[in-house]
Amino acid sequence: MQERNPAIDPIEFELFKNAIFSVADEMALTIHRTTYSGVLRDNMDYSTAFCDAQGKLVAQGLTLPGHLGSMPTALAAVMKKFADNMHEGDIFALNDPFEGGMHLPDIFVFKPIFFAGRRLAIASTICHHTDVGGRVPGSNASDSTEIYQEGLRIAPMKIYERGVANETFFTFLERNVRVPVKVFGDLRAQLAACHIAEQAFLDLTRHLGAERIVALMAELIEYSERMTRAAIGTLPDGVFDFEDFIDDDGIDVGKPIRLYVKITKQGEKITADWTGTSPQVKGAINNTWSYTRSASLCAIRSILGVDIPNNEGVFRCVEVIAPPGTIANGVLPAACAARGLTGFRMVDTMFGALAKMVPDRVMASSDGGNSGVSIGGYDKNRKPFIFVDFTCSAWGGRPWADGLDGNSNIFANMAGQSCEVIEAENPVEIPCYEFIPDTMGPGKYRGGAPFRRDYRLLEEEAVLQVRSDRRTFRPYGLFGGQPGKPSMNYLDPDGANTVLVSKFCMNLKRGDVFRHEVAGAGGYGDPLERAPEAVVKDARNEMVSLEAARNDYGVIVDPRTWTHDAAATARRRAELKALRRGLTAPPVLRQPWPDAIAAE
Amino acid sequence: MPSYRIGVDIGGTFTDIVFMDDDGRFLTKKVSSSTDNYAHAIIAGMEEVFAEARIDKAEALEVLHGTTVASNALLELTGAKTGLITTKGFRDVLEIRTLRMPRLYDLHWDKPPPLVERYLRHEVNERVDRLGNVQVALDERQVEHAIDKLVAERVEVIAVTLIHSYANPAHERRIAEIIRERAPGTKFCISSDVLPEIKEYERTSTTVINAYVLPVVERYLSSLIAELKRIKVATPVLLMQSNGGLTTADAAMRMPMNIIESGPAAGVVGAQLLAKRLGIGKVISFDMGGTTAKASLIEDGEVTRAHEYSVGSGIMIGSRLLSGAGYTLKVPAIDLAEVGAGGGSIIWIDPGGQPQVGPRSAGAKPGPACYGQGGTEPTITDASVVLGYINPGFIAGGTVKLDAGLAERAMLDKVAKPLGLDLPRAAHGAYRIAASNMIRAIKAVSSERGRDPREYALVAFGGNGPLFATGMARELRLKRVIVPPAAGLFSCFGLLCSDVEYHFTRTFRRLVLEADLSEFNRLVGELEGEAQARLVADGFPAARRVYTRTAHLHYQGQIYDLSVPLAAGALTAKALAELEEAFGQEHERTYGHRAGKEEPVEVVSIQVIAHGLPEMPRVPAEPALTRSNGKVGSRRAYFGPDVGWLETPIATRGDLATRTQGPCIVEEYDATTLVPPGAAAQLDDFGNIVIDIEG
Repeated sequence: MQERNPAIDPIEFELFKNAIFSVADEMALTIHRTTYSGVLRDNMDYSTAFCDAQGKLVAQGLTLPGHLGSMPTALAAVMKKFADNMHEGDIFALNDPFEGGMHLPDIFVFKPIFFAGRRLAIASTICHHTDVGGRVPGSNASDSTEIYQEGLRIAPMKIYERGVANETFFTFLERNVRVPVKVFGDLRAQLAACHIAEQAFLDLTRHLGAERIVALMAELIEYSERMTRAAIGTLPDGVFDFEDFIDDDGIDVGKPIRLYVKITKQGEKITADWTGTSPQVKGAINNTWSYTRSASLCAIRSILGVDIPNNEGVFRCVEVIAPPGTIANGVLPAACAARGLTGFRMVDTMFGALAKMVPDRVMASSDGGNSGVSIGGYDKNRKPFIFVDFTCSAWGGRPWADGLDGNSNIFANMAGQSCEVIEAENPVEIPCYEFIPDTMGPGKYRGGAPFRRDYRLLEEEAVLQVRSDRRTFRPYGLFGGQPGKPSMNYLDPDGANTVLVSKFCMNLKRGDVFRHEVAGAGGYGDPLERAPEAVVKDARNEMVSLEAARNDYGVIVDPRTWTHDAAATARRRAELKALRRGLTAPPVLRQPWPDAIAAE
Repeated sequence: MPSYRIGVDIGGTFTDIVFMDDDGRFLTKKVSSSTDNYAHAIIAGMEEVFAEARIDKAEALEVLHGTTVASNALLELTGAKTGLITTKGFRDVLEIRTLRMPRLYDLHWDKPPPLVERYLRHEVNERVDRLGNVQVALDERQVEHAIDKLVAERVEVIAVTLIHSYANPAHERRIAEIIRERAPGTKFCISSDVLPEIKEYERTSTTVINAYVLPVVERYLSSLIAELKRIKVATPVLLMQSNGGLTTADAAMRMPMNIIESGPAAGVVGAQLLAKRLGIGKVISFDMGGTTAKASLIEDGEVTRAHEYSVGSGIMIGSRLLSGAGYTLKVPAIDLAEVGAGGGSIIWIDPGGQPQVGPRSAGAKPGPACYGQGGTEPTITDASVVLGYINPGFIAGGTVKLDAGLAERAMLDKVAKPLGLDLPRAAHGAYRIAASNMIRAIKAVSSERGRDPREYALVAFGGNGPLFATGMARELRLKRVIVPPAAGLFSCFGLLCSDVEYHFTRTFRRLVLEADLSEFNRLVGELEGEAQARLVADGFPAARRVYTRTAHLHYQGQIYDLSVPLAAGALTAKALAELEEAFGQEHERTYGHRAGKEEPVEVVSIQVIAHGLPEMPRVPAEPALTRSNGKVGSRRAYFGPDVGWLETPIATRGDLATRTQGPCIVEEYDATTLVPPGAAAQLDDFGNIVIDIEG
C-alpha cells in the first residue's frame, strides 16, 4: 500500500471520488440515451470527463478505451489558444487531428466551469459523429489519401461565447455535413452533458468549498499515480519489443506496414516507444499520437490487474513515444479517418511485447479489431442511405482460458447490430451471421471464434466499401499456440464465390451478396496439451471438426459417445510430437506449426 | 366470517408469511427457507399460523406469492435441458449475444455460458422478410429431423426463434404443431408468443430463458398447489411478476419469464401503495438487505418500468453504462437500480490506501465478524455495532446475539489502523462510504433521468434500509424519510396490495404525424382485445377490468425511446399532435433539451396494460403499536467527528407518537431506524415513522 497525503481526509476523499465519477458517468448516459447515431450507441464511440482548470484529466467516464487520454491532448490545444481568453458561458469545440483532435468524425466539446469568477474545472466530451462531410458518406473512408478529402476540419474555437451561440460556426457545420439533423442532435446531447456536469460540479463545490475541490482533484490524480506506480513496480524490469505488420493500406496494395514497439520497464515507469514503426502511409489509417497513446495505455492497463481511476496520474507513469511522420503519429496531410484499424493492431503489438515481460498475464493476438463494412447510395427517389457496420469477434487464447468467442475487442466496447434492425432500416438483407468452424488458432487454450456475416443488396445499385486486415499477417499465437485463420472477403459465396482483397471499394448491383469473415484469434500454449474434454466439447458443438481434433490437437473423438479414445489420443499426440523432430516452437507463431519451423 | 389473504415472500434465507384479514389487520411469520423444495417451508409456516391464530382454513381467500425459484434456476444454471430451432444462418445468435462486455481493460472477463449449447441449436431452411412475406418456405423435413435429434438428446423443452417471426409467426406456429405431433411429451416455447418484437438476439434470449425455467417453475407451482390442497387450503395462487403486477399460477407456468424478478418488485409495489395512501407524488423506494441495496422511482402513484434487463449481471457501480453481463430478458420489469451494499458488505483498503465498502459480502457464512462464526473481515454491520447504531443484544428481537468486541477488533485491525484513524472515525467513514455507494443507485433512478432527488421522499425498508436512509438523505439533501411498519417484512405487504396486471406490446414504427389513424386505432384495438381476453380468462368481470395505454416514442433517428401515455378512446389527429408535444416535454424533462418542430417524432411501439382489480381493495390497516411507557433506555452512539459521541435514547415505534428530536434509535424486531441529531421523527396516522431531516 502506498502513502497517502496526510492533509487529505481519506473518507472525504473517497466520497469525492465517488461523486465525481458518478457525474462523469451521468454525462455519458445523457449522450447515450439521446443519441441519433448508431455508432455512438453500438460502439460506445464517445467519452466524457472532468479535467481540472489547467486541462489535466481528473476523471473519465466508463465508455471507450480508444478515447483514454484523448481529452488532455485536445484540451491542450484549446489552452494554447484560449488560456487567457476563457469566460463564463464559453464553450469550445474542435476535431482537427493536427491540432488536438483524433480523426474528423470525433468532435470534442468543452465547457469551462467557473465558481465565483474562478475557473475550477472543464467538462469534456467527445463524440463520433455520423458525418462531417468529405468525399464519402460517414466521413470514415479508408481510401482517402489526404485529410482534405475527409471532411470539415474544426480548429479549436468558441462555439458559444459568453453564452451566445457562434452562428457562423453552426451555419458552416450545417452546410458541410450530409445529415445535419443527426449531427446537431448529437451536438445537443454533448452540450446537455456539459450542462449537467456544470450543475453537479457547482453543487459539489458549494458543499465542499473551492479550495477543497481543487485539493481533492489534485489528490485524485496523485492517488491514481500511486496505484499505477505500485502496480508497475511489481512487474519485471527490462526491455521487451515486438513487431507485427498490417497487410497494407489499401492504396499501395500488398505493401506490408510495420508496427514496432519497444517497451522499457524500469522501476515504477513504463515507456512504449514506437520508433521503428512504418512511415505514415497514403491510406487513411494514420494515427495521431494521442490515439497511439490510448492503444498503448489500454494494453498496459489490462495487465496491471487492479482497478485504477482513469486520469492524469496513470499517464504520468506511462511514456509513449511516437515519432512524427510515422503511422503512429501522422503529420499534415496524413489521412486518418480509418485509423481505428491501426489502433486495434497496436494493442495486439503491445500484448506481443508484454508477453515477454509477463507471459502469464497477456492474451495471444485477437482477430485484429473491427472490420468496417459500409454500403451507401441513393434509392430511386434520390434519397441517400448509408449503412455502416463494424464487426469483431474473437479474443486471443489466454494463459488460463480460451479466447472469447463473439465478444468485442478489448480496445473497444462495441455491440453488434441486430440483423432484423439492419433489414428494417436499410435496403440490405443479412442472409447469415454465424461462427466459422476450424478457424480458431489451436492452443492449450484456443483462440476465440470469428463469425461471418453476409450482406445482400436490395436496391438497384450501391457502393460497397470494406476496411479489413489480418489476411496476409494472421493473428499470432503465443508459446506454442498457433495463429488463427485469416480474415476473408467474398462476392457471391453461394455462386462464383470470388475472393476479394482486404480493403476495397466496389459497385454492388441488386441481389449481389458480399460475405465478410473475421479472422480467427491466436491460441495460447501447445495444442497437444489441451484437455481432451475441451476438444470433445468443441467437436460436439461443431466448432472443431473431427479431422482438426485429430491433426491439430491429437485427440481422437468418438462421435457416437462424444468421448475421446484415451489410448489412441496418446498415440496420436506422440506421433505429432515426433513430427516436430525435437524442435520447439518459438514464443510467437505467425504461421501454422510445424510448417513455420520447417520454413525457418 | 372473516377472510384472509396470505402473502408469501421467499428470500434466500427466510420465508416471510403475512396473513391479512378484511380489515387489514395482519399476522406475520418468519421461517427458514427450505431450499430443496420451497413449498415445504411455506406449508409448514402457514400451518403454524393457522394453528396459533386458530384460523379456519376455509377463511383463506387467496395466496399471493413472490418467489425466487425462476431466478435461482437461471443464476445457478439448474434449468431444464433446452433445445433451440432457428433459421438457417442464425445458429449462433444466442451465443454471439451483443458482443458487449461489462468490464473494460479486464482480460479475465468471461461470457456467461449459453443456456443452449451449440449442439442443441438446430437450423432449418426458411425465411420471412421484414414485412412478413415468406421468401423461403419452411422445410418441414428439416424440422422433423431437428426435433428427432433433440428428443434423442432428451431435451425437456424446445425454444423456437425464427428471423422476423414477429412480422409473420406462421413458420413458428407450424413448427409448434410438428413438435406437438412428433414429440407430444416435449414442452416448447415459440418466440412469436413470448415476445413478438424486433431484434433477434433479445427475442431469442427471452424465449430461451422462458423455456429454460419453464419446467422448473411448473414443477414448483404444481407441487405448491398440490400441497395447499393437501392441507385443505383450496385458494387460487397468484404470483408477483417482475412488472409489479400479479398473475395467475396458470399464466406463470406458461410464461415464467414474467416472474423472474418477483421478489424485488413486491417491495416497490408496497412503496407505491404507501405513496398513494399518503398522497405523495414523488417517492424513491430504498430497499437494503444483507447483500444488496435497490432503489426505484415512483411518480404520481406510478412505478417506473424498464423494457429490458439482465438477470445475473452481478452488481457493479456504473453498470448502467456497461452492459453485456448476465442473461438478457426483454420483458417489462420495475426499473430497479441495484448496488452491492448491505449489512454483510466487507470494508477493505484498496492498494491506493483508500477505504472501500463491498461489493464483496461476508454472506450468511461466516457473516459479519460480530456474528462470532469465524468471520474476521469487518462488515457494515460491524461498523454499525461500533457506532452504537445496532444493539448487539437485540437483533431479531434478541434471538441473535452479537459480539461487539469482535466487531471492534475487526474494524480496528483492518480499517482504523491502516487509515491512521481512531475506531469510531473509521467506522463512521465506512458508514458514509456505504451510503455514498448506495447514493449511486438513487441517482441512477433520479438525477440520471432528469429528476432532482431533493424533491423526493425516501421510503426505506428491508432489514438495513431504515438504518442508512437518513444518512443518505442528508448527503442528497432529501427532506423526508418514511419508514413503514414492519419494514423488514415490507415486501410481503407489497404482495398483499398488488393487482393482477398484464402487459401487451407491439412494434409499430410510424412517424406520429404521418401515422394512418385507422391503422393506429386498429392496432390499439387489437392489443386491448388481447388484454381483455386475458382478464376474462382469469375470471374478472367487466367492472374490474381496467386498461392503460402507452406509446414508446423517439425523434426519428434516435435509438432510445421514452414512454408517453396515450389518450383513451379512439385516437384523433388532435390526440396525435398532443402526443408529439407530450413527448417533446418528456424529452426536455428527462434530458434537459428537446429538438425543434422540424424534427419528426416516431412511434416505436404501443403498449396496453391490463389491470384486474380485486373485489375489495387490498389495503393493510394501521398496526397496533406498543409504547415503552417512558421506560426509554439509551446508549452512546457516534455521529461523526463534528458531533462525536452522544447519549442516544432507544425508542419503540409507538414512542414516536409524539414528535421526537434526534438523535434517537428505534429498535424493532425486523429493523433498526436511525434518527440522527438535527432530524426529527413522528408517527403518521398509518404508523409510518416520518423523519424530517432538517428537524
